[in-house]
Amino acid sequence: MAKIIETDEDKLSIVNKELLFQIKEKEKKEAELIIANKELAFQNEEKEKRAAELIIANKELAFQNEEKEKRAAELIIANKELAFQNEEKEKRAAELVIANKELLAFTYISSHDLQEPLRKIQTFVTIILENETENLSEKGKYNFQRMQIAASRMQQLIDDLLAFSRINATDLQFETADLNQIIEEAKNELRDTILEKNATIEVTEICTVNVISFQFRQLVNNLLSNALKFSHPDRPSHIIIKSSIVKGSKLKGLTLSPDKTYCHIIFTDNGIGFEPHFSERIFGVFQKLHSKEVYEGTGIGLAIVKKIVENHNGIIIASGELDKGAQFDIYIPA
Amino acid sequence: MNLNQLTILLADDDTDDCFFFREAIAKLFPSANFSAVHNGEELMHLLNKETHNLPNLLFLDLNMPRKNGFECLAEIKQNDRLKAVPVIVFSTSLEQEMVNLLYNTGAQYFIRKPSEFAQLKKLILHTITLILQNNITQPAKEQFVLTAERGRATEET
Repeated sequence: MAKIIETDEDKLSIVNKELLFQIKEKEKKEAELIIANKELAFQNEEKEKRAAELIIANKELAFQNEEKEKRAAELIIANKELAFQNEEKEKRAAELVIANKELLAFTYISSHDLQEPLRKIQTFVTIILENETENLSEKGKYNFQRMQIAASRMQQLIDDLLAFSRINATDLQFETADLNQIIEEAKNELRDTILEKNATIEVTEICTVNVISFQFRQLVNNLLSNALKFSHPDRPSHIIIKSSIVKGSKLKGLTLSPDKTYCHIIFTDNGIGFEPHFSERIFGVFQKLHSKEVYEGTGIGLAIVKKIVENHNGIIIASGELDKGAQFDIYIPA
Repeated sequence: MNLNQLTILLADDDTDDCFFFREAIAKLFPSANFSAVHNGEELMHLLNKETHNLPNLLFLDLNMPRKNGFECLAEIKQNDRLKAVPVIVFSTSLEQEMVNLLYNTGAQYFIRKPSEFAQLKKLILHTITLILQNNITQPAKEQFVLTAERGRATEET
């Protein structure tokens, strides 16, 4: 019996040990589970944090997208506005071209058609003077003469206006020309005046030029005859023509392109000159600084000169000093 | 050619210009046979009449209604019966392009209508003298345009 008890006790002890072991194991597992749970809880928390951060980031992204779309829409509007403004500018430019052409055509047609009735007035006046002189009183004759003078003045104005309107930018035939030769031709044409004024024309350092020949010939002619006309009564006329090639970048303060080279032509004279504040005005159509009784002419010569220089994409600057002389600086692309 | 039998025809639609021309002819060639027509159609109708004696000289204005002077000149120079008539173009404006065209089409001279009566007479006399001397040979191009300023042939460009 005892043995059995012993044995049973032994068995019990073994069972107990076993149970104890299992309990310990359970406790271990429980402890592990608690740790694992804690870990899980912590990870969950982290995930939620991340999720919240993601939501915020997403919101930020959505906001930025919206802003971008807004900017894009604004850009589209701005672009449209720009395109519209460009279109308007082009329209205005085209309108200007048309208006300019119309103005030229108007000048041409009006001056052309004005010639006809004027010519008749002049012819009738001369018929009366030829056939009826004996029937006219001295006063009547005088009045008729004044009428003739006024009519020929008008004829001169119309002729000059026509000449001005003929200088247009439509037939631009540029060619390389020898400026020396053009000056020589002008001198030949003005030979009588040059002799009469006892004028010296000095031509130095002349370069070849790229010009519309017939227009440039007229330019040289107009500038020379201008210098001769306004020569000083107390001294013989001395005119100097020089030219040189210059870089646009060297010509500061002038509206010239810095990357281009220019032919700079200078006409200097020792004539009566003009007050410096007239330096722009003298290029206007029919602008004169002296009455026609003192210096004849209609005031179109320098207007034509300026138009020709502009047809050559160049600029002209006049400078003068009263009683000393005048200078004209021309810059045209070389 | 007998000056007294000179037949001069003017084609010009302008009454004043016809008057000036008639006055000048009356002073220069009082016995000449002068007549005027006032448009291109009238001119061609008259010239094409078989019974009509052709004029010794035809002064032709350019700007005329119904048929202009240039059209008339071209028709005249293409017509075997008419082409020998010397045609002197008589116009207000002097456009080099038109002048070239007229020369190439066979006009004899080009006169720019002057503004003084004395010059008009001088030009008409000068032209008629030239034509009577040279008959109907077309002059060199440089002598084609006659202007009042120098009373002789001058070239204008």
